[in-house]
Amino acid sequence: GIPIRTTLDNSTTVQYAGLLHQLTMKARNTVRDIDPQNDLTFLRIRSKKHEIMVAPDKEYLLIVIQNPCE
Amino acid sequence: KSCQTGTISTAEAAVQSQTSRDASVQTDQSKDAVQDFQQEVQVDYTSLLSFLQRVEDAVIKELNKNWRSRAFDGFEVNWTDQNETVLCLHTLSYPEAQDQNLQVTSVSWNATGSVVACSYGRLDAGNWSTEKSYVCTWNLDRRGLNPQRPDLVVDVPSSVMSLAFHPSQPSLIAGGLFSGELVVWDTSRTEDPVIWRTGMTDDTHTDPVYQVNWLPDAKHRNHCRLLSVSTDGKILVWREERDGRLALAEGFAVVAQQMPRSTQLKKFAWGEAAVGVTSLSFSHFDPRVFVVGAESGHSLKCSTAAETLALHWTGSSVPLRAPADFAFSPHGGPVYSVSCSPFHRQVLNLFLSCGTDGQVHLHSMLQPHPLLSLQLSKKYLFCVRWSPVRPLVFAAASGEGNCYKCFCSTGEVHLFDFERSSQKPALSIQQAADERPVYCLEFNVRQTRLLAAGDATGTVKVWQLSSDFTEQGPREMNHLEQLASEITD
Repeated sequence: GIPIRTTLDNSTTVQYAGLLHQLTMKARNTVRDIDPQNDLTFLRIRSKKHEIMVAPDKEYLLIVIQNPCE
Repeated sequence: KSCQTGTISTAEAAVQSQTSRDASVQTDQSKDAVQDFQQEVQVDYTSLLSFLQRVEDAVIKELNKNWRSRAFDGFEVNWTDQNETVLCLHTLSYPEAQDQNLQVTSVSWNATGSVVACSYGRLDAGNWSTEKSYVCTWNLDRRGLNPQRPDLVVDVPSSVMSLAFHPSQPSLIAGGLFSGELVVWDTSRTEDPVIWRTGMTDDTHTDPVYQVNWLPDAKHRNHCRLLSVSTDGKILVWREERDGRLALAEGFAVVAQQMPRSTQLKKFAWGEAAVGVTSLSFSHFDPRVFVVGAESGHSLKCSTAAETLALHWTGSSVPLRAPADFAFSPHGGPVYSVSCSPFHRQVLNLFLSCGTDGQVHLHSMLQPHPLLSLQLSKKYLFCVRWSPVRPLVFAAASGEGNCYKCFCSTGEVHLFDFERSSQKPALSIQQAADERPVYCLEFNVRQTRLLAAGDATGTVKVWQLSSDFTEQGPREMNHLEQLASEITD
């Protein structure tokens, strides 16, 4: 994915964009393989340090990284 | 019954390309390859706007749900095998050195994290020592590792007091000697491993070298310079010369009269004397800033960019400068070790210092009084090191010391975890069976579970730490910053 707007530094942005684009495609394919009538609407990845949220679309991808309070 | 395939019809044709053309493609190295994206992308802003409007609600709903959610509280996933205990993986020693009652004065891990080296000498030798000593290395990843037989033993004519492996070349190791000299060995050479030495010149230290460090050289990228610290008060930087000699490139001298005064510290009584320096640690965030520990009990914040000349630096080929710009409040005895935190990002640089008063002080570089003063034991603390993976953990080595009238000398490695308790160690490991002191310890930066500690019986023990000392918790950095700031208030 080509980053259009970002609030992070450039190298991190490019890294997130590339990796998450691939992961989103994989997730979407997984959902459609299980049920072809279904489609991916939202992807959330929770890690030890934060949560990554991806809102997918035909042309764009919105990635939000949140530090949830514990 | 038999079956037979019918005849298969075949035909032959030949193909030959009549014309051909060559074209080559090459991507140009774009200087700011990453910057380019902001300009080149043709964005259809209206469709982008409608996309954002579509997803905005969903994303905000998820964000709100998240910070209110308690779903994952206390939920932790273990990806690696958790081991709960601290094990002693290896007990390494060199029997010949042990027979001569030599102690382990320093340990160091090499750049790849698979070789540990130790130096044998005596820390309680008094003022003069002509004993020869050894530098031994063991490759822990080798099969057939014999803990009593080091892979390499180097005979050294004088006691080695400190060791440091080169940060990127796995076979180079530097040592500081009791005589004040520095020697660099190349462990891959079979005949004579010595490649550089300072020799005894006018520039050499006049007291034992208690610490050596490799400094990345800003000008020549592949070369490192060596830095040595000694109780003669001098901090010297050496560069390699072609004939195997180490020549003085620059230097600093700490003189009592030039110690930075702080209104809360008492005046110094000893005038022009040099202040012995026992240890040094560079800040991980500003390569010109370093902290030294002195025999007077003070820790000093110094800078390589200092300009004032030191008083009475005679006899040196390069002018020595006074490096200190800030003094921290002293320990009750000489400081033996300082260590700067590799994690603390902001200006409030944290470092630890320990000494013979059995206390570890956690300092911020901004104020003279320690943030925390921990009485770890009643014995001397010889070495303190921050963990390279967990911002809240550090290890300290303790040993001798008189407590009240009895002489109890339990050598222990204390592991401290601010997450669990800010008053007492999370774990105290007794290293030697007969309670001899532990003099030095080093974390392995590559294999982050390993900690090597050397003691007075001449043994190096490699400890494997349990997972709670090596896995960073989710909010550890925040906790560290909180710890630093709540104490300064």
